[in-house]
Amino acid sequence: MKKREKRWVALAAVFALVFGIAPAANAMHIMEGYLPVQFCAIWGVICVPFLAAGFFSIRKTINEHRKTMILLAMSGAFIFVISSLKIPSVTGSCSHMTGTGLGALLFGPSAVSILGIIVLLFQAILLAHGGLTTLGANTFSMAIAGPFVSYGIYWILKRCRVNRRVSIFLAAALGDLFTYCVTSFQLAICYPSEAGGIGASLVKFLGVFAPTQIPLAVIEGLITVVIMIGLESYARPELRELRFVEGDR
Amino acid sequence: MLAIDKFCYTSKLRYVNASEKFALSIVTLLICIAAQSFVISAAVMAVMGVLTVRKGGLPFARYRKMMFWPLGFLILSTLAIVVNLSRTPLDLFAFPVGGWYLTGSAAGALRAGRLIVTALSGVSCLYFLSLSTPMTDILTVLGRCRCPKLIIELMLLIYRFIFVLLDIASAMTTAQNARLGNKDFRTAYHSFGQMASALLVRALKKSNALYDAMEARCYDGTIRVLKEDYPPKPGEIAAIVVFELILLILFAGRLTGWVM
Repeated sequence: MKKREKRWVALAAVFALVFGIAPAANAMHIMEGYLPVQFCAIWGVICVPFLAAGFFSIRKTINEHRKTMILLAMSGAFIFVISSLKIPSVTGSCSHMTGTGLGALLFGPSAVSILGIIVLLFQAILLAHGGLTTLGANTFSMAIAGPFVSYGIYWILKRCRVNRRVSIFLAAALGDLFTYCVTSFQLAICYPSEAGGIGASLVKFLGVFAPTQIPLAVIEGLITVVIMIGLESYARPELRELRFVEGDR
Repeated sequence: MLAIDKFCYTSKLRYVNASEKFALSIVTLLICIAAQSFVISAAVMAVMGVLTVRKGGLPFARYRKMMFWPLGFLILSTLAIVVNLSRTPLDLFAFPVGGWYLTGSAAGALRAGRLIVTALSGVSCLYFLSLSTPMTDILTVLGRCRCPKLIIELMLLIYRFIFVLLDIASAMTTAQNARLGNKDFRTAYHSFGQMASALLVRALKKSNALYDAMEARCYDGTIRVLKEDYPPKPGEIAAIVVFELILLILFAGRLTGWVM
C-alpha cells in the first residue's frame, strides 16, 4: 500500500471503531474523573441554589402532607428504573433514556432537581453511569438545565395551543438535546481546543456525540409521548394526585 | 438485576467499617483528579484493583469487563480533545481534508493520555466503594456527614423502591416479549412506552398502599432500622493513612515536576 492509502485505511478504521462503539454509549453522563477539580467544584456550587430551592419546596409539601414523601420516593425510583432499562433503538444496540423530560412534565422542574441528584448518585454507584466527582456537572445538565427547558417548552406550547402530542414530543426531545449541548459545553470549557479555543472545542464535542445523542433525543421524545398518552387515557386520577407535588401548576 | 448491587453484598470487604472505605475512596479520588499524573493514577488503579479483586473476591474477568463500561464515552470525548480541525497543521499528525487539516499536537496527546489514566483510576476508586459497600451503609455514612435527614430518608425509600419497580418492569417486559411485543422497532418503542406508563400507575398504587401500611405502624417521617456497627480497626486506618500520605508525597512531586 502507498502511504496515502494507508492513511485512508487508518482513518476508515477509526471511524468504524467510533461508530461501532458509539451506539452502546448511554445518555451523556460525564464519567468519573473526567473533569478537573476546580470545574467539579464550580458546577457543584452552581447547582446549590437550585437544590436548595427544591429542598425547601419539598420539605414544605412533606410537612403539609406526609404522604408526599412516599410519592416522591416512588417518583425518584421510577425515574431511575426508566433510565436504567434498555430502550429499543433502530440499530439494535443498547441505549438508555434520560427521563429528564418525562420527570419534568410529571413532577415539575423544582422537584426533579432534588430527585435528579439522588438518581444520578444512584446511577453512579449502582450502574457506574457518571461519577461522584462529576455529580455536580451531571446534575446541572441533566437534573436542572434539561428539565427546566422541557418544562418551559411545554408551558409555552400549551399557551400557544399546539397539539398536545407535538408539544410533549418537542418538550422531551428538545430537553434532551439541550442536556447534550450543556454537557458538550461543560466539556469544552474544561478542554479548549489548541486551534480555536472553547468555540472549536464545543463544535468538536457536539459533533462527536451527535450520532448517538440526536437519535436518542428523537426516540426519547416518541417514548415520552406514548407514556403520557397512556397515562392520560387510564390514569387521570393519579396524574391529578401528582400535581400537588409541585403545587403551582 | 443490578450487577454492582449483587456483588457488593457478597464482597469479602462488606463487613469492614463503612466510613473507612468511604474515606479511602473519596480522598484517593480527589488526589487522583487533582494530580492528573501517570504515576499516581497507575498506583491508585493497581491498589484499588487489588483491593476489589483480591480482598473483595470479585472475579477478575468481571472486574475487567466493568472497567470497559465507560469506554464509549472515554473514546469519543478523548477523540474530540486530541483531534483538531484547523487550517495549519500541528506537530504530532495531520491529515489533509480539502483545504483543512485533521490534526493534533504532542502536548494535546499527552494531556489526553493523562486524562484517560486519571478517568480510569477514578472509576477504579468508584468501583472500590460501590463493589464493597452496600447502599444502606453509604447512606449511614452520608447521615454522619450531616446530609439533611429528609434527603437520607428519601434516598433510603428510593433505594428500596428501585427493586420493587425493577421486578414489576421485568415481569411486564417478559409478558410483552412472550406476545411478540418487541418484534420490530415500531412495536418495541410502543411497548416500552406502555410498559413505562403502566409502571408509573403501579408505582403510585403501591405507594398509596405502602403509605397506609406505614401509617398503621406509626410512621412519623423516619424509618428506624437497627444499625450493625463494625468498628474501625487501627491496622486498617494506619494502612489507609500511609497510602494517602504516599499519594500526597507523589502529588507534591507532581507539582514540583519530578513525577510524571
